[in-house]
Amino acid sequence: MTSLLEVNDMSMAFPLAGSKKVVQAVNAVSFTLNKGETLSLVGESGSGKTTIGRCVLGLIEPTDGTVTFDGARMGGNRTIRSPSLRGRLQLVFQEPAESLDPRVRVGRTIAEPLRAQKLNRADRDKRVLEIARRVGLPDSALDAFPAELSAGQQQRVGIGRAIVTRPELIVLDEPTSALDPTARAEIIDLLIRLQGELETAYLFISHDLSTVRYVSHRVAVLYLGMIVEESPAADLFAKPRHPYSIGLLSSVLLPDPKLKGRPRIELKGEIPSPIDLPKGCFLASRCPFADTHTINNMPPITTVERGHMVRCFKHKEIAEMDYTSDMFASFQAETKRVLSQGVEDN
Amino acid sequence: MTARTIAGEFGSDGMIRVEASGKEGHLASESTRDGRNSKSVALSAFAGEVSTEQAKTPLISIKDLTVGFPSYGKTTKRAVNGVSLDIPRGEVVGLVGESGSGKSTLARAMMGMVPPPGIVEGGIVSLDGLDLSTLNEKQMRAIRGRDLSMMVPNPRSELNPLLTVGRQISNVAHEHLGISRKQAEAKAMEMLRSVRISDAERRFNAYPHELSGGMAQRVIIAIALICSPRFIISDDATSGLDVTVQAQVLELMSTLVRDRGASMLFITRDIGIAAHFCNRVAVMYAGEIVEIADTQSFFERPAHPYSVMLLSAFLHNPALRAKWTKKADDLSGAAPLSGGCPFRFRCVRARERCAVEHPKLSRFRPRHDVRCHFPVGTPS
Repeated sequence: MTSLLEVNDMSMAFPLAGSKKVVQAVNAVSFTLNKGETLSLVGESGSGKTTIGRCVLGLIEPTDGTVTFDGARMGGNRTIRSPSLRGRLQLVFQEPAESLDPRVRVGRTIAEPLRAQKLNRADRDKRVLEIARRVGLPDSALDAFPAELSAGQQQRVGIGRAIVTRPELIVLDEPTSALDPTARAEIIDLLIRLQGELETAYLFISHDLSTVRYVSHRVAVLYLGMIVEESPAADLFAKPRHPYSIGLLSSVLLPDPKLKGRPRIELKGEIPSPIDLPKGCFLASRCPFADTHTINNMPPITTVERGHMVRCFKHKEIAEMDYTSDMFASFQAETKRVLSQGVEDN
Repeated sequence: MTARTIAGEFGSDGMIRVEASGKEGHLASESTRDGRNSKSVALSAFAGEVSTEQAKTPLISIKDLTVGFPSYGKTTKRAVNGVSLDIPRGEVVGLVGESGSGKSTLARAMMGMVPPPGIVEGGIVSLDGLDLSTLNEKQMRAIRGRDLSMMVPNPRSELNPLLTVGRQISNVAHEHLGISRKQAEAKAMEMLRSVRISDAERRFNAYPHELSGGMAQRVIIAIALICSPRFIISDDATSGLDVTVQAQVLELMSTLVRDRGASMLFITRDIGIAAHFCNRVAVMYAGEIVEIADTQSFFERPAHPYSVMLLSAFLHNPALRAKWTKKADDLSGAAPLSGGCPFRFRCVRARERCAVEHPKLSRFRPRHDVRCHFPVGTPS
């Protein structure tokens, strides 16, 4: 079976004004995404997550490599904007308030993508109402302006606008990071439910690892525009093999004071500049396992288990050390226990 | 009202020397920390030696603080409603709650910088027994940045884009500690190193736009800590950072706070930070503290239905989460306040009593108070 989306060896470099140098935002990234599946891209700011999302939608053309959607190459006149693809690809933004027109009522915002589909007015209104209910907006919200809604509700509008055309692929660029935890949980539940109903594929861009674990089927960890580890979600959290993934995972502060002081890899310093990329492994300057070999050579992609790829020379060494305690799983178990107390007398 | 404003205010000269001999009783000692010279110690000199009397008074004491935002034709909205909170020396208190719960307004009120049209309608904030409301703006300015300081989110927009980082940090020391420019610059450089900015000599002369978010945040921390304040408020100061940088910055803050024996109010939406970084956790809802407890006790037995709801947001179990979550019916989510418990519209445990009687903050367990008629874990 061919995948819905195939990204092959894609690189993206932005020229730097006033010099011959380039910002190498994405470096030889390959991945696939199937119908009804969620792939998450995680990494720090500047790791190229958003650039990959924009390349996938054809909004910018990669300097190298290809993006294939439904068997045909993206780019040129085949983009999210082109008539042949209109409505099949959608995008949800990070800042719900900023991505909505403050002077357009919510109902019209959701109906906007349908205008290109030349539906008659009655059908369109029916569809908008159905979508609003589906994303959990009260009917009265359709006549409201975005400013009258809470941030969580605004993001529901953003999602409603995206699913109204029944797209096959949605790129979600940090859809929950501007929200309170309570609103975040609701939006994530909504996205998971919608995916079950509509079989949409999600490319989920986020730096929030606890959300990613919950929402994704597979996760790709990005560092300086390169995928350093890719694996089924549960696997990555239980058995991370790349020092960067381990560092990232152990930096997450879960709301349980008992999950403290676990063995962890501390990443020192900051992400190097994407203008002068390191010669060898990109992480070498921050990695406790680095030696002269890793500083001078780029590690190859190694498959350690079915579907679990890692780009590190020392992955065997790391696998033998015990970093495998899945702090996220024990957190879930503990929180479940705490919140089950007294639930019966509500 | 931010670090930039604060730093700007330090610019006006001479204010520190006011009342060097006023405030009887507060000038117990000429010996000051960090080699401050005597003429600049006016309002912080009461830090000098901690007598037994002072050891008993909490460093920060908030009593019944109420901040209102009047609006035309409507009733005044109380962003902070009768908050009382004592913070002893060396303690870090986490303040959590959703956006709009009044956390930031509380912080601003403590700094004496409530944004207009808001007004402090009542209550007292005292620092080491000194009622801050009795001070005039000049005296308040002398305290801000030196005894009380605040870190803000969005570091880059809060720094002055026209001044180098080194200048902005040293300005604070120069104004407050009464030391020469040169000494202040040396101190600023030392501070840059202690917040572990790599290549501190070069960054000293950098402008804010040349820094990454993580580095700009460290500059904010350097500004907040250079005078070794005794009380620091962090208003969501780490939320914009990546997790790895956040871990570094938190580590750094806790070391600096510990080494200098300061206390801290740590405001955050991320209850995870509170779990790992704070001695006590306070939960705010609709301008009130609805639960306050030792961190361990709070996470082991959260008692207010709102606290449980906040925690349940991290649970990947929609069925169990749904048992703790109820949506308010009206569109804006903000319920009209007319007596009773303000949380009752979103509360899964609400009963008739909740609509008529406003609950009081009362003891739930040792060192664990809750404002609820039917706290979780007791039959309702």
